[in-house]
Amino acid sequence: MAVMTYLQAISAALRDELRADERVLMMGEDIGVFGGAFKVTDGFAAEFGTDRVMDTPLAESAIIGCAVGAAVVGMRPVCEMQFADFISCGFDQLVNVAGKMHYRQGLAVPIVVRLPSGGGFSGGPFHSQNPEALFMHSPGIKVVAPSTAEDAKGLLHAAIHDPNPVCFMEHKHLYRRVKGEVPDGVFETPFSARVARSGSDLVVIAYGAMVDVALAATEDLEGASIEVLDLRSLVPLDEAAILDSVARCSKVVIVDEANMTCAAGAQVAALVAEKAFEDLDGPVVRVATPDVPIPFSPPLEQAVLPGVDRVKEACRELLAY
Amino acid sequence: MSSLRTESLVDVTMPQMGVSVAEGTVVAWRVAVGDRIEAEQTICDISTDKIDTEVPAPATGVVAELLVDVDQTVEVGVVMARIATGDGAAGAPAETQPAPAAAASAQTQPAPAAAVSAEGEPTAAVAAAGAPAAGPGRGDAPGRRYSPVVSRIAAEHGVDLSAVRGTGRGGRVRKQDVLAVVNGNGHAAAAEEPPLHIESPYRPDPPAAPRAPAAPAVVADGGLSRMRRQIGQHMKRSLDTAATCTTWAEVDMSRVQAARRTLGVTALAFVARATIDALREHPALNAWLDGDDYTRCEDVNLGIAVSLGDDGLIVPVIHRAHELSVEGLAARIKDIARRARSRELTADDVQGGTFTITNPGQFGSIMATPIINLPQVGILDLEAIVKRPVVVTDADGNDSIAIRPMTILGLSWDHRALDGALSAQFLATVRRRLEDLPA
Repeated sequence: MAVMTYLQAISAALRDELRADERVLMMGEDIGVFGGAFKVTDGFAAEFGTDRVMDTPLAESAIIGCAVGAAVVGMRPVCEMQFADFISCGFDQLVNVAGKMHYRQGLAVPIVVRLPSGGGFSGGPFHSQNPEALFMHSPGIKVVAPSTAEDAKGLLHAAIHDPNPVCFMEHKHLYRRVKGEVPDGVFETPFSARVARSGSDLVVIAYGAMVDVALAATEDLEGASIEVLDLRSLVPLDEAAILDSVARCSKVVIVDEANMTCAAGAQVAALVAEKAFEDLDGPVVRVATPDVPIPFSPPLEQAVLPGVDRVKEACRELLAY
Repeated sequence: MSSLRTESLVDVTMPQMGVSVAEGTVVAWRVAVGDRIEAEQTICDISTDKIDTEVPAPATGVVAELLVDVDQTVEVGVVMARIATGDGAAGAPAETQPAPAAAASAQTQPAPAAAVSAEGEPTAAVAAAGAPAAGPGRGDAPGRRYSPVVSRIAAEHGVDLSAVRGTGRGGRVRKQDVLAVVNGNGHAAAAEEPPLHIESPYRPDPPAAPRAPAAPAVVADGGLSRMRRQIGQHMKRSLDTAATCTTWAEVDMSRVQAARRTLGVTALAFVARATIDALREHPALNAWLDGDDYTRCEDVNLGIAVSLGDDGLIVPVIHRAHELSVEGLAARIKDIARRARSRELTADDVQGGTFTITNPGQFGSIMATPIINLPQVGILDLEAIVKRPVVVTDADGNDSIAIRPMTILGLSWDHRALDGALSAQFLATVRRRLEDLPA
């Protein structure tokens, strides 16, 4: 066990995989010599060589397209999008080529696309987005989103070992703010949800950076017993864990940092409405970013992102219902 | 109004359900006083120690009186209810309303409304005449809505939600409010128990004994059903009375399996036929023992245990089974099983048995110790037929190992009526009949 930041845990997972499996290679913008925009791959080029930690042109379609080809011939490529926002340029290679390869031709595409996502640090509309729901809507792609250092490492190992394309949503705001004990060596965290705190009066369902927000908002709500469920995996979605929490708590608040419409939480809400109807003691409540781009202005950004106060208020309202 | 009462009253009595039944218990009334009822419509459900059944109304009219409470046991022939027939039938329910209210309504309403009230809808007339908002029994909270989980818990536990005090916004009944009632801490008494259950498992917890947090989840299904209690009583009485002993014999079912494929019937029908033959050879087992009173029966009335799933078990009887072939027995077994499961058996279908066969083997169990169905003196248990390696001897006396469909027949017998040698001979006869079927 070592205490690591979320970012160090991701670096450690990548380093462990590069050391353990010669099929693993990395591609991305400035990940080699420069060590990555966030220094996730700092020192990797020196240790593993620029054949395995490759700097690429500013062309996300090329990064993902090359990775798909390499994966088909037996490699285990890990692509880094410098910011998750930039994946729109690689959308076709990921959604149409990687996601449907197995369905069309029976070929496995074991690639991982790392997506540094999320806002909260005045990055503005091109550097703050949470595009995970786009890929939830595309069959053939798995989507995971860790909230702790341990899960960041374990989910990344599991993603690299998985035979499917996996979008690994790593939240930039958590990189250096979240610290925790991380087991040594290679271990896999299952693509399933985790009860971050158990409770019985109300459950807040969240993932990524919103798990911390949910925990902080519900730490002391006039003595109410609040469960926090960390989804961890969006595809596959852990239906059993969600329905189990709802059956016990009967009141549900779902938090997304992504824009409200068709976000991951919308899918969770639909699931709860359909399969947990008779367990509900109040409306399914969602807290999410309104359907606007993320503003540059720090106060405006704080106003649109779901924060502790908004989650608290939503929980209070629903508890009183 | 009383001058109009020219009706006659028809009695509804506890029916005679078969010769030996002396009394019955009302399980549920399907009607209330004042309800209209058609002849042959079910008026109540009753339970006797033989069978549960419905009582049809003997006449068309209006229910005038219900004289027996639910769960009350009365003798056969006792009047349970009265039905008013004839002219006065329509007026009967009005009589149950307080007379002054009816009179007031007639005075303050225009003539057509009063006529309606006389037609037998007194509550509507009273509500119209009285203060509209404070009508008796009407909504303490009209138009109250309940969430799905509250509705479900209320339905599961028979809670009357209109009597539950809500602590949510605007007095809304929340999950914790209905749970408090279910757990006995609430503000409303739980509604009456469903009629087929004896008592609610929900009791106020003793204040000094907090529940252990790790207590296992309990499925609250309201205690034993009436049928379960009756089965329990019969079985316990048998074990307390009979000197029960069980003998087993292993039978090679090769011929039976071949024959049943030809005839398209179950192995049970062959075992039933072989049992009947063995009972003819050893009539001491086709008998009743009641105290010291031992009676050998002329006919073989063969009881067949039929599982009713979670509800329990019933043993319908094939009367004069010795007159039936294997095919005839198979058809009768199929018929009584179907009627048992659709609750269509009559009292006569379940009495007069002289010997019983039970056959729970379809789930793969291989041996059991059945309990004797008193006053009978024996019960045969047929379990699964399983392929096993067995030693067989050919005509020249050479032994070899063969794969044969084998079963273990278990005979529980009453040592008060017979001894082990006879039971062994009986089983040997059954076995011989099954193994020596014409190939």
